[in-house]
Amino acid sequence: MSSAAADGSRRLQLKLPATPAGFSRGFDELRHGLDALPLDPRARFGVELVFEEVVANVLRHGCRPNGETRIQLEVALEHDAVRLVFEDDGPPFDPRERPDPAPPTDLEHAPTGGRGLMLIRRFSSGLEYLRTPEGRNRLTVTVPRVQRDGKR
Amino acid sequence: MKMDISEDAGVVKVGLVGRLDTPGVDAVETRLTAALVPRAARAIVDLSGVEFIGSLGLRMFITIARALTRKSGKMVLYAPHGFVAQVLETAALDDIIPVEPDAATALAAVRA
Repeated sequence: MSSAAADGSRRLQLKLPATPAGFSRGFDELRHGLDALPLDPRARFGVELVFEEVVANVLRHGCRPNGETRIQLEVALEHDAVRLVFEDDGPPFDPRERPDPAPPTDLEHAPTGGRGLMLIRRFSSGLEYLRTPEGRNRLTVTVPRVQRDGKR
Repeated sequence: MKMDISEDAGVVKVGLVGRLDTPGVDAVETRLTAALVPRAARAIVDLSGVEFIGSLGLRMFITIARALTRKSGKMVLYAPHGFVAQVLETAALDDIIPVEPDAATALAAVRA
């Protein structure tokens, strides 16, 4: 069962199973939790986009053949950024090794997928990956709260 | 995710309202594909009510547009706004699928 909690330290924690139902419930809980955080629209969109792409990727590629993969997320609101730390117990997967797809030349030959990481990179300022000693994937994504023009 | 489909003078008009995240795409993709592809439709898709899109939403549009083109149909998207428009630009979607600012230009493009 997934759960969400936002406390005075401006942190949000979620746990969800890597299933379509867990994805949907987790996304609802994340958005509810984000409502309590003072985020500008771009940072809010960026956090939701990162959740969408990371969790969808775990569902598509990161599920263990036997047993249920579980995803844990901590969202921390910092002065200039929102830091999202995803952990899952699926097979090792370092998304930083995936290059962006080549720009599409025509509809017939355009790849249908592979754009998730490109979108994460566009809306974030940092992407770190670690395979923990406990055998978990830990992906840390930083979404800036301050736009390039200095506005927050 | 809400989807309305109507037809006017040989053009299928699709209105999408809500979020094209994974649950949203799951909710509309099969119905949208079935409404457009078998009949090789010429379709315009109103994105003005779409407040979120991720890579799965992009994938859905590319898959349907490609299937339509192979059957001499066509799909034109129009009126994306805000960060949805930024996602489409980041993916250079308008290099392969027409993206128009409003319904009038979308209608002209789909009939071209």
